[in-house]
Amino acid sequence: MSGNGARAVLDRTADRMVHATAVERLAIAVASTLLALALGAVVVAASGYDAVEFVSSLAYGAFGSKSNVAFTLRQSTMLIIAGVAVAVAFRAGVFNIGVQGQFVVGGFATSVTILFLAPYLPTGTVGGVLLIVFGTIAAILAGGAYAALPGLMKAYADANEVITTIMLNFIASGVVFYLVDSQLRPSGAAAPNTEQFPDYVELPSLVFDSSSFSVVGLGVALATVIVVAVVMSRTRFGYDLVTSGYQESAAAYSGVDPKRTVVTTMTFSGMVAGLTGAMFAIMILGYYSDPATFPRFGFDAIAVSLLAANNPLGVVPAGILFGGLDAGGQYIGFTLDVPSELVDGVVGLVVLFVATPELFRMAGRRTGLGGDRK
Amino acid sequence: MSDTQVPAVDLDGITKRFGDVVANDGVDLSLEKGSVHALVGENGAGKTTLMSVLYGLYEPDGGTISVDGEPREFDSPRDAIDAGVGMIHQHFQLVDTMTVVQNVVLGHEPAERGLVDEGSARRDIEEICATYGFDVDEHLDTRVEDLGVGVQQRVEIVKSLYRGADVLVLDEPTAVLTPQEVEGLFDVMTELTERGRSLIFITHKLDEALAVADHITVLRDGESVGTVEASETTREELARMMVGRDVLFDYPARETSPGAVTLGVDDLRVEDDRGLEQVGGVDLEVREGEVFGVAGVDGNGQAELVEALTGLRSAESGTVTFDGRDVTDASRRERIDAGIAYVPEDRQEEGLVQDYDLVRNALLGNQTVAPYVENGFVDWGAVRTHAEDIVEQYDVQPPNAEAEAGSLSGGNQQKFVVGRELEHQPDLVVASHPTRGVDIGSIEFIHERLFEMRDAGMAVLLVSSKLDEVQKLSDRIAVMYEGEFVGMVDPDEVTEEELGLLMAGRSPDSGGASAEASADAPPESVVDDGESTSDGGVES
Amino acid sequence: MSVGDYAARNRTAIGGGAIAVVLLAVVAAVFDLPVGELLTVGMAERSLRAATPIALAAIGGLYAEKSGVFNIGLEGFMILGALTAAAGTWIVSGEGSITQVDLWFGVLAAIVVCALLTVIFAVLTIRYEADQIVAGLAVWFIGLGFGPFTATVIWGGVSSPSLPNIDNVTVPLLAEIPVLGRVLFDASPLVLFTILITAVAWVVLYRTRYGYWVQAAGENPEALDTAGVDVNRVRYATVIFSGAMAGLAGAVLSIGIGSGFTGTGVTMVDGRGWIAIVAYLFGNYNPVGAFAASLLFGATDMLQVQFQTVGISLPGSIVGLFPYAAVLVVLTLVGYTRVPAAVGEPYDTEE
Repeated sequence: MSGNGARAVLDRTADRMVHATAVERLAIAVASTLLALALGAVVVAASGYDAVEFVSSLAYGAFGSKSNVAFTLRQSTMLIIAGVAVAVAFRAGVFNIGVQGQFVVGGFATSVTILFLAPYLPTGTVGGVLLIVFGTIAAILAGGAYAALPGLMKAYADANEVITTIMLNFIASGVVFYLVDSQLRPSGAAAPNTEQFPDYVELPSLVFDSSSFSVVGLGVALATVIVVAVVMSRTRFGYDLVTSGYQESAAAYSGVDPKRTVVTTMTFSGMVAGLTGAMFAIMILGYYSDPATFPRFGFDAIAVSLLAANNPLGVVPAGILFGGLDAGGQYIGFTLDVPSELVDGVVGLVVLFVATPELFRMAGRRTGLGGDRK
Repeated sequence: MSDTQVPAVDLDGITKRFGDVVANDGVDLSLEKGSVHALVGENGAGKTTLMSVLYGLYEPDGGTISVDGEPREFDSPRDAIDAGVGMIHQHFQLVDTMTVVQNVVLGHEPAERGLVDEGSARRDIEEICATYGFDVDEHLDTRVEDLGVGVQQRVEIVKSLYRGADVLVLDEPTAVLTPQEVEGLFDVMTELTERGRSLIFITHKLDEALAVADHITVLRDGESVGTVEASETTREELARMMVGRDVLFDYPARETSPGAVTLGVDDLRVEDDRGLEQVGGVDLEVREGEVFGVAGVDGNGQAELVEALTGLRSAESGTVTFDGRDVTDASRRERIDAGIAYVPEDRQEEGLVQDYDLVRNALLGNQTVAPYVENGFVDWGAVRTHAEDIVEQYDVQPPNAEAEAGSLSGGNQQKFVVGRELEHQPDLVVASHPTRGVDIGSIEFIHERLFEMRDAGMAVLLVSSKLDEVQKLSDRIAVMYEGEFVGMVDPDEVTEEELGLLMAGRSPDSGGASAEASADAPPESVVDDGESTSDGGVES
Repeated sequence: MSVGDYAARNRTAIGGGAIAVVLLAVVAAVFDLPVGELLTVGMAERSLRAATPIALAAIGGLYAEKSGVFNIGLEGFMILGALTAAAGTWIVSGEGSITQVDLWFGVLAAIVVCALLTVIFAVLTIRYEADQIVAGLAVWFIGLGFGPFTATVIWGGVSSPSLPNIDNVTVPLLAEIPVLGRVLFDASPLVLFTILITAVAWVVLYRTRYGYWVQAAGENPEALDTAGVDVNRVRYATVIFSGAMAGLAGAVLSIGIGSGFTGTGVTMVDGRGWIAIVAYLFGNYNPVGAFAASLLFGATDMLQVQFQTVGISLPGSIVGLFPYAAVLVVLTLVGYTRVPAAVGEPYDTEE
C-alpha cells in the first residue's frame, strides 16, 4: 500500500506551493506587472523610441490629469465588471474565454432594447431610467444565455470550453456586425453604426465631466463586485461553485451535480459579462457599432482576474491597474507615436508571468527576498 | 541459499529525508544472490522510499548502495537498469494505449534505419517467455489496457528481464491479485530465483513474506527493526516487530439482532464510464442494526455498485429502495438528505477538498442541512462549531479545525470523514474501504465507530478487499466477482481459503481447471488508484 | 492493427466525419445548392491551400499534446510566424523588389524565431510548471499585441504592404493529369511539403522509438522515466517542434499563399490556430486524421469564395463564420476524444 507513497508527499508539497498565501500572491502580481512593463520598455527602446519617456508618458496618460483619471476609471469600470465575470468562471474551474463575445452580445441586446422601446416610453429622466434598466436586464439575460451555450456543450457533449467560447467570440462579433450593418444602420449612413440612443439615456455626470464616464458606472462595478463576493463566500451556491473548481470529484460526492454546475457557472459568468456590455453601450458608446472595433475588455479581463487570483475583491485593484495601463497606452499612441498595441502585448506578458508563479518563487529564493518556503 | 559471499545488492545506512520528515533512517539491507528477501512494514514505514532510492528515483541523503560488490550511485532509473536492477511498481509502469511489445521495449527499442525493429523485439520477448514459462507472448499485440491485472504484472516482469535485470524489486505485487493469482506469482518468483535472479519482495502481509521469502527485513517508522531468517521466525514475532506492540484484534460480540430492511437492491445493473457493464444483476438487503459486507478483489464492480447506491452513478436497470421508498432515480443530493451516509473509498479525491481547511470540509455534503445553511446562506459560525465537534469526538490530530485537509495524515483524514458522515445521524452508512491506507490505531477507532452505528440500529454496507476486516465486521458477507455476487456466506463459518476461492470466481468445492483462465484475467480489472497513503511519513 | 481495429478505435472520428458529410448534404438539399458547381477542381485546390496552415499547426500541436503539453498558444505563435515571415522577407530584400529567395528566407526566419520563442514557452510550462492553458492564452495576447506593434514599427501601420508569395512548383507532364495534376503537381511547394510532413509525422509517431517516447510521455510519464528516458527532454522537443510548425503555418498564411501580413482586428490568422487544435482532436491525434480534418475546415473556409463564384448571395460576414460554426458542430458531435492521460501535468522526477 505504500506504492506511490513518497510521490504523494511531493504532490502535497507542490500543492502547497501552488496555493500560495495572499501576501505571496500580491507579491507575484506586482512582480509580474513590473516585469512585463520592464520588458515592454525594453521593446520600446529596441524599436527606437525613448523608454524613459515611454514610462513617464504611460503614467501621465493614466493618472496625470483629471480627464486622464476619468478615462482610466472608465476603462477600469469595464475591466472590473468583466474581470468579475472571468473570476466567477475561473474560480469554479471553468475557462470562460468567451467574456468578450458575451459582452458583445449583451451590449447588442441593450442597444436593441433601448432603440426599440424608446418610442413607447416617455422621454426625459423617467424614460431614460426605464430604458437603462430594461436595457441592462436584456444584456444580463442575453449574456447569460450566450454563455449557457458553451456551458451546455461542455457539460453534455464534453466540448472543451476554451475552444467553444473562442469560436463563439468570433461568431458573436460576425453576427452582431451583420445585424448592425444590414438591419440597424440608418439608411444613407456610411459607418456600420446604429442610431444614437435618445439623449436622456445616459448616466449622470458626477465628479468628472466626461461624456463617456460616470461615477455611477463605477458604482455599478463595485456593487457587482460586492454582490459576487458575497455570493461566492457566503452562499451555498458559491460554496458549490468554488468546491467544483477546487475538486470536482469532491463536489459531486457532496451532492453537487457537476454538469449542472458547469452550466450555471457559465450562465452566471455570462450574466456579469452581459452587464459589461450594457455599461459599454449606455455609458461609453451611446449607440452600437461593429464589434471588431471594440476594445478587448473581455480578454484583458482574463489578465485582471488572474492577477487578482480570481478573487472578486482583488479584481478592483487589478482592474484599476489595467485601466490605467490601457489609458496610458492609448495616450502614448497619440502623443509618442508608440503603437498602442504595445500595451496589448504587455498585458499578454502579465498573463504569462502570472501563470508562472514558480518563476518568482525561484527568483525570490535566489535573491533571498521571497522568504524561505519549506 | 547461496554459496557466494558477495550480496547481489547491499544497502548500507540509507537515509532519505523529505523536508522535516525522515522517510528512511540509516537502513541496512543485504540481498543474497538467488534468494527472495522480503521487506515488510506498515504503510508509511518507508519501504517504497527505500526501494525508490535503490532504483535511482530518489537520491539518498546518506548511505551507500552496492550492486554485486561494486559501490554505485544512481542518478536515475537508467543507471539502476544499467546496473541490472529492475523494479515492478505497485502501480504498473505501463502505457495503457501501447501494445505489450511496445511497452516491453520502451526506452530500449531495437532500431533499424531509424525505425523500431518490432520483429527482433518480438523474438527476444518470446525467448524470455519460453525460458521462464510466461504466457505474455500470447498477447504481444494487445494494448495493455485490454489485459487483466495478472497479465499486466507479468508484462512488467518481462520488461525488467528484457532490460537485463538480475535484481528485481517487487513493490506490493500481491495487492491487486486474487489469492490464486498470488500463488501463480509465487511460482514465477521461484522460477526466477532458480535461474539466478535475486528478488526483493515488498509486502505488509506477513503470511506472504513467510511463504516465499528466505530473509525478512522489518521496517518501522523509517528504521530497520531487524532482519530475520524466514524459517526461524513466526507471524507473531513479525507483527510485534512491525507495530512495536502486540496487535489486539478483539472486537465486541454482536448483541443486537437485525431489524427491518433499510436498503433493498433488486437486479441492479450498472455500467462504467466506457459503457461496459460492471454490475450485472445484484440483489441484496441490508437491515437495521446489521453490517453487510461485500468482499472481492478490487475492480469486480464494487466501485460501480457503491456509486449506484450513493447516487453518484445512474443504474441501467433494477431498483434500489431505501426505507421502503424507491430511490433508484434519486440524485446524490436527495439520497444524502434521505439519510444515506457515504464514507468514500478515496478520501483524498472525494471525501475531502484537500485545499480547504476542516471547517470548510465540514460543510461538504451538508449544503442543505440547517443550521449550517439557511435560505441559501451559509452560517460559517455553526459550521465551525460542527467541525470542532468532529475533531474532538473523533480524535483528529492535530486538533485544529483550521488545518488544511491535505496536511493531515491518512488516518486523521479518514477519522474526520467518518465523523462527518456519521454525525448526519444517517439510517444507512455505505463504507467503501474505510480503513485503506490508515494506521492501525485509526483502524481500530473506525471499526469501533462502525460497531456503535450498528448497535444504534443503523444499517451498514461495508465494501472491503481486506478479508480479515470483512470477516470481523460483517454479519453477512457477499462475495463479488465480475459484477455479480457469487456467494453469500456467514463470516463465522467461512474460512479465508473459501473466501479466496469465491473471490477468484470459483465455488469452494469445485475449483476446476475451467476457472483457471478467467481467474487470471477478469476482463475489466482496474489497477487501483485509490491508494494514496504516503510512504514518506505522513502517518505521523 | 487491422482495419477493423482501426475503425473501432476511431469510431468517434469516423462517425463525426460521416455526420459532417451527411449534414453538409442536408444543408445542400434544403437550400437547393448547386453541389455540382460547388465541387470544382478549383475548390479542391483552394481547400488544400486553406488547409495547409491549419494542418501544419495541427501536426505540431498534436505532437506537443501527445507528449503531455497542451500548446494552446498555437494561434499566438502563428501570428508571430506570419509577422516574422513578412518582416524577414521585407528586411532582407532591402525593402525593395522581393525575390523568391527573400521569401524563402522569410519562411525560414518565421520557423527559427517561433522555435526560439517556444523555447521560452517550453521552459515556463515544463521547467517552471506554468498553467498551460493560461500561458497559452498569454501567447495569443502577446501575438495579438506585439504582432501588429512590430508591423507598425516596420511599416508604419498594423499591416504590411502587399507582398508576393512563393511560386507554385509545376511538374511537367504530371501537371497535365486531370484534377490530380492541377491539385498536386501544379501547387505551392508548401502545400506539397505539408503532405510530406503529414506522412513523416505519422511514421515518426507510430514507427520510431522517438514516437514511442512521445506517446509514453503523454500517457504515463513515469513509465517512460523508469525506462530511463528523460520525460521533460521529450516534451521540450515536441513543444519546440510545435512552435516551429506554428511559425511555418503563419509564414504560409502571410507569404506562402497570402500576400503579406494583415494585423487588423484578430490579425490574418483569424482563429486558425484554434481551429488547428480542433483539427487534431477531430483527427484523434493521428497526423493523417488531423490533415483530413484540416482539409474539411479548409473547405468550409473556401465556401465563401465558391458561393460567390456560383452566385449564391450570402453576406460575407456570415459565410466567413462557417469554419467557427463547423468547429462547434464537430466538437459537440464528436465530443469525447481520448486525451492523453498526463496532459497538463508537469512531470517532476525528484523533489
